[in-house]
Amino acid sequence: MSSAPRAVRWLLLVGVVGLLTGCVAPPGEPLTAPPTLEVEQRALPEVAASSLERRAQEVTVRVRSLGCEQFGLGSGFVLPGGVVVTNRHVVDRPREVTINTWDGRSFPVGVVGVATDSDLALLQLEDDVDLPVAELRTTAVAAGEEVLVVGYPGGGAAEVATGRILGSVDGTVLGEPAEVLRIEVSVTQGSSGGPVFDRSGRVVGVVFAIEVDAGVGLAVPVETVLERLDTEVLVAPEPC
Amino acid sequence: MPIEHGDPAAGVRPLPPPARRRWVVVVLAVLLVLAVTAAVIAGLVAADQREAAADWQQRTTTLQQQLDEVVEERTQLAVQRDEAIDALIASESDVAALEDRVRTLAEEKARAEDTATTVSVERDVFIELSEVVTEATSSLDTCVTRLFELQEASVAAFNAAAAGRQVDVVALNARAETVTGFCEQARSAVAEAEAAADRLRRSS
Repeated sequence: MSSAPRAVRWLLLVGVVGLLTGCVAPPGEPLTAPPTLEVEQRALPEVAASSLERRAQEVTVRVRSLGCEQFGLGSGFVLPGGVVVTNRHVVDRPREVTINTWDGRSFPVGVVGVATDSDLALLQLEDDVDLPVAELRTTAVAAGEEVLVVGYPGGGAAEVATGRILGSVDGTVLGEPAEVLRIEVSVTQGSSGGPVFDRSGRVVGVVFAIEVDAGVGLAVPVETVLERLDTEVLVAPEPC
Repeated sequence: MPIEHGDPAAGVRPLPPPARRRWVVVVLAVLLVLAVTAAVIAGLVAADQREAAADWQQRTTTLQQQLDEVVEERTQLAVQRDEAIDALIASESDVAALEDRVRTLAEEKARAEDTATTVSVERDVFIELSEVVTEATSSLDTCVTRLFELQEASVAAFNAAAAGRQVDVVALNARAETVTGFCEQARSAVAEAEAAADRLRRSS
């Protein structure tokens, strides 16, 4: 036998051995199918403690005014510094004024002053109490905006009503210095002085009258309220 | 001309010439060395590959176990989440009911305070009324007493005059004026009492 064919065979043998040693063992058991990673989505219930309705209710108070010749019941809302905004006609010729919170607390208040050209009055808490306060919106409200109205209709429990701004009407015939808001919310006696909130929880108006024919509420816009917060434009209420 | 070195028909392969044979041997030797080298390298690479494959296999198995654990943990968390949501829903329902109750109680308290305030006002009015009525009664009593006294003095003076005795008419007239003053006071007191009663009627 010649050396060349032998060498070829060696070459082949080496090649085969090389190939065999280069082989890799096949992978083990195939992996199990990946489990589904989807989780059933569940909506969380609305937490009452942080709801807009609750916050709106917390800053709205019931106003009881013992006047010279009448006993007035209305609504109002608390601002920073223990200031309470309500309607002038709620605290007409006051002798003793008290506010009740939605959860049953009562605090005496004094009448800081009443507006001469608007149905607004400012009260001041006599005690140093830490009540939740409302935030006033500084921009104008637009027709069609959804609002919440909180009050104590009939002097009863606190109630939250939802509606929307219908527009505005001339307020001069109603003794107001500017246009007043028409609100698509039914208000009754006792709602007077109650705040009108936008969907962000800021006050955009103060309920003061009812448009009887249309059955809608009328509110003093927040711009007028902001102007009347300056106590220099207010006067002392008529004494008993 | 090619040179025949054997008879092919007799099965004898002709040998290449010696120079060519050396070339073939050299080439084959080189190829053999290359093949061996390649085989060794391939073997080393293959060993590495096997080791890497084993590592990946191990890693895959570990990851599979971890995935299984995570999935299990997620399932348990989902169960806990569902329980928490159910509890929250129940809690919110309770809170809403309690808030309604708080509102109702607050309303009752406020109305009770309203009533207390009204009663307090009425009490003040009653006290005022009582005082003015007492005053009016006292004034009327004084008026009546003084009128009786005046009547007696007038009868005595009349009898004295009829008997021809001197009668002090000036003193009698002065006394009558005093009595009139008492009775005017009594009238004022009665008018005040009537006004107080009227206020009470209007406030109730």
